[in-house]
Amino acid sequence: MTPTVDCCAAADGPADRTLCGLRVLSELPLPELRPWTGGGRPADLSIRLGDVPDHLEDGVVIHPLVQVAPDGRCRFALAAVGAYLISSDGREVIIAPAPNATGDEIRTFLFGTVFAVVCHRRGLLPLHACCVQVGDKAVAFAGDSGVGKSTLAATLWTRGYPLLADDVTVVDMNAPDGPRVLPAFPRVKLWRDSLERLGRSVDGLGAVRASLDKYHLPVEEGFCATSLPLAGVVQLEKNRKVPPGIRLLPVTQGLGRLNMVLYRPRLMLRLGTQAQQMAQFLRLLGSVGGLRALRRPETPAEWDEVEALLPALAG
Amino acid sequence: MGGFYWIASYPKSGNTWMRLMLASLIDGAPPDFSKAIGFAGAVGSVTDMDLYLDVESSDLTPVEQAELRHDLALVTAAAAAKPQFRKVHDRWGHTPTGRPLFPPKVTLGSVYLVRDPRDVAVSWAHHSGLSLDASIAFLGQSGAVVAKSGRWKDQFEQRLDSWSCHVASWLEADPTPLLVAYERLSADPAGVLANVAAHCGIAASDAAVAGAVAATQFDRLRREEETHGFDLGQRRGRAFFRRGRAGGWRDTLSAAQADRIVQDHGPMMARLGYI
Repeated sequence: MTPTVDCCAAADGPADRTLCGLRVLSELPLPELRPWTGGGRPADLSIRLGDVPDHLEDGVVIHPLVQVAPDGRCRFALAAVGAYLISSDGREVIIAPAPNATGDEIRTFLFGTVFAVVCHRRGLLPLHACCVQVGDKAVAFAGDSGVGKSTLAATLWTRGYPLLADDVTVVDMNAPDGPRVLPAFPRVKLWRDSLERLGRSVDGLGAVRASLDKYHLPVEEGFCATSLPLAGVVQLEKNRKVPPGIRLLPVTQGLGRLNMVLYRPRLMLRLGTQAQQMAQFLRLLGSVGGLRALRRPETPAEWDEVEALLPALAG
Repeated sequence: MGGFYWIASYPKSGNTWMRLMLASLIDGAPPDFSKAIGFAGAVGSVTDMDLYLDVESSDLTPVEQAELRHDLALVTAAAAAKPQFRKVHDRWGHTPTGRPLFPPKVTLGSVYLVRDPRDVAVSWAHHSGLSLDASIAFLGQSGAVVAKSGRWKDQFEQRLDSWSCHVASWLEADPTPLLVAYERLSADPAGVLANVAAHCGIAASDAAVAGAVAATQFDRLRREEETHGFDLGQRRGRAFFRRGRAGGWRDTLSAAQADRIVQDHGPMMARLGYI
């Protein structure tokens, strides 16, 4: 069994880890993140355990799960998991865990919505996509929840394509040589039935949440821990009525699918980052030659076809 | 600010037919099954919650999902510029903390379709792959749900309860829905559709109503399904549009099976004039 990580502070000082190229110093243990090996620079992101107010005073955005203060601080909370307060510069997250929350639960939302807010505040572009290495480039496969991103990530990983990200692909649009994907962590979230279709048992895997039949599959071997230039963005489609294969979408269609490509797209409205995020999305589509679409592969033959198309995408 | 028209029913009671009629009326064109049907998507969609509540809702527990459906309705209505239509199979009711699942303050109107439970039982058996006896038991089951959580689904778990409880919950809903009997819809589709359109604030001429009725005749829908397919959660390999007849149970259910449904649901069947 994967040991359950207690959500309390680590006994031997803060965890020193890396996420998307950032140095993360955290009072919350973050076992899925690789250790920081980049030397003694100050933390890019500090994660502390502490009090988070129930209400941000004079909140300009009061939403069921998200509040934003006039100074840009953002609060995200789920009653059974905890509350998170993200500083306006995206350099600090304070977590107030709920009484019975597990570390797995707290990290699930830390690496989801909360880290997306950090990305917005730091000028990074989070895509709702998994991402694999093809040759010396990165290719991202985007789409709504349930479309099959994690299954695609795990399948391509088993076929020898190193993984950079499972559900959230973070892109640095300000890298000197064009957009680069910043590697996340070596885990893929999969429901039991998806794991079983991949021939994997859930035995020994940690559950995403105690009451969900959804697990973390570790992919330590074959994780790409260095950033790579982004060569293509492909939106996965579940609809069996579209033709198989990868198609380049007309520009207007590509723009229209923003909600399916960006991670938590309406966060930009709450945070006031829409001008920056939209501009980055336009630049992204320009730099990868437009958005492509792929009917999600289901049969071994369809997987072979997709694999055969990958080199051209990264070309 | 938008708001919702809920097109509600127990499953297999004419909900999809009604939505196709309304879509056809609004579009002025017959349904095209070669494309995904975009009108009146299911309430409680995972994609909607992800988008409007800024969270990976498949990482939420069923209780959290159920609780946040109230918030989702409010936020979605506030974000929309015009009225929204949604398909509903939930019973009318409340979230775990007692907030309305279909908040009256964002409800512009509801249409509740009801059908003789003997026909529903036969149709549900075909749709779900259950035996007739198991289907009859399902209709009588307190606490029955569809889209049961436990694996990935594009919809959240929906509580039906028994057929009688489902009907009772909607008859007492706030605001009171327009009650539409499947049997009357079959007998007089144009008259019923005109009523529903008026209830939902859709201006429609008699000719437009007649056009929508013609475009959604059962045989036409079945031909479209044969040509293009139509997947709405029915058991794999089975037709969605099966028979479309009122009273078809008479040549399918045994006398004992029909009696059992009357035993389970007699008072509500009597109230609705089915017995």
